Amino acid sequence: MKIRLYDIQSNYQGFECLIKVAEITKECIFDNIEIDMKNVGWLDANMCAAFGAILYKVGREPNIVTLSNLQKGVETILSKNGFLSYYGREKKQDTYETTIEYKRFEPKDDRYFTAYIEENMVGKGIPKMSEGLHKRFIESIFEIFSNAVIHSRTKMGIFSCGQFFPNKKRLVFSIADLGIGILQNVKEHTKQEMTAEQAINWAVEGKNTTKVGRIPGGLGLKLLREFITMNQGRIQIVSDKGYWELSDGKVSTRSFLNPFPGTTVNIEINTADTNLYCLSSEIRSEDIF
Amino acid sequence: MSEPITVRVFEIVGNGFCVASDDGQKVHDQIAIALRESRKVELSFLNVDSLTSAFLNAAIGQLYGEFSEEQIKAGLSVKDMSNDDLALLKRVVDTAKQYFKDPERFKKAREEVLEDGDDSQNS
Repeated sequence: MKIRLYDIQSNYQGFECLIKVAEITKECIFDNIEIDMKNVGWLDANMCAAFGAILYKVGREPNIVTLSNLQKGVETILSKNGFLSYYGREKKQDTYETTIEYKRFEPKDDRYFTAYIEENMVGKGIPKMSEGLHKRFIESIFEIFSNAVIHSRTKMGIFSCGQFFPNKKRLVFSIADLGIGILQNVKEHTKQEMTAEQAINWAVEGKNTTKVGRIPGGLGLKLLREFITMNQGRIQIVSDKGYWELSDGKVSTRSFLNPFPGTTVNIEINTADTNLYCLSSEIRSEDIF
Repeated sequence: MSEPITVRVFEIVGNGFCVASDDGQKVHDQIAIALRESRKVELSFLNVDSLTSAFLNAAIGQLYGEFSEEQIKAGLSVKDMSNDDLALLKRVVDTAKQYFKDPERFKKAREEVLEDGDDSQNS
């Protein structure tokens, strides 16, 4: 089977294109699947997380997945971030160190994930950010990873990738999983019928949590939303058939015809931001409990 | 209550990234053992670089499912935390109090703790 791919940007259309790959291949087994990249002139590197998740799922059925006819520019970026290493090509040196490597983690790999973030976010070409911004960004990434570990019930791993755009002063990072998705989680918890976009909306509202049992939850996505709003950055959440985006402080939602087989969270931050990022004014440790 | 026990988060986690729920669970277990014995706990965040709500929910938030607010206030204190991290902890604590206000959740959490206790006695 041959599937022709087109430009993939970090937006609704980009995800729609990837979802088509998932949809076309969902019944495939013991097949040779060629992803023809002839028409791909641009692929936002962070989208490798969602792309890689879908291809991994296809490969696990099992099928043989190959990528063909890559244009030079796309091939270079996907070689630098290590994506093509998963498809039989050599990794290229990232001279300007603007890529954050594409990786797949098991849910229990939180130690590896920590080391990966440390390695990729400290001392490379990632821009100098204010201390507060750097800390909040890294903590946001860990919040998303933890959410995937706790909520997705994925057995096929968690995929991540990022890219720094020096001219735009924007840093983008993505985490994708192949778990049950936000809709199923929220429906199981609320016992209410809703659309995937409504379920994502529910999950990003404060105080809502699908957690049961002894460990409380429900803050991670809310903290992320507050941070990105203040930073004037962007969040995109794709789960099942739902697309949710926060940009310029405004939320917009759309739906897809077919589901993404899990959840992807993209965050984009403005690295030139000089906000102080204090969650509140002076607080005394005696007043915590 | 006798002399407080200092629990060093860095020592338990093994590095300054206190981000995973599983690591938070290890910290929780240390605190809970002490509180059950009515010992005071001083939790030190010295050398901690990154904290998440997932870690703090597991380490501290879940204590509200086993102990009363009064017990925690009397038995647990924190030190070596930046103002930002204190603010995050405060939100985690407030969310946990809200979470366990639901009597069903509180009951379920207590039952799980008791079941764990039975399991460890039987093993």
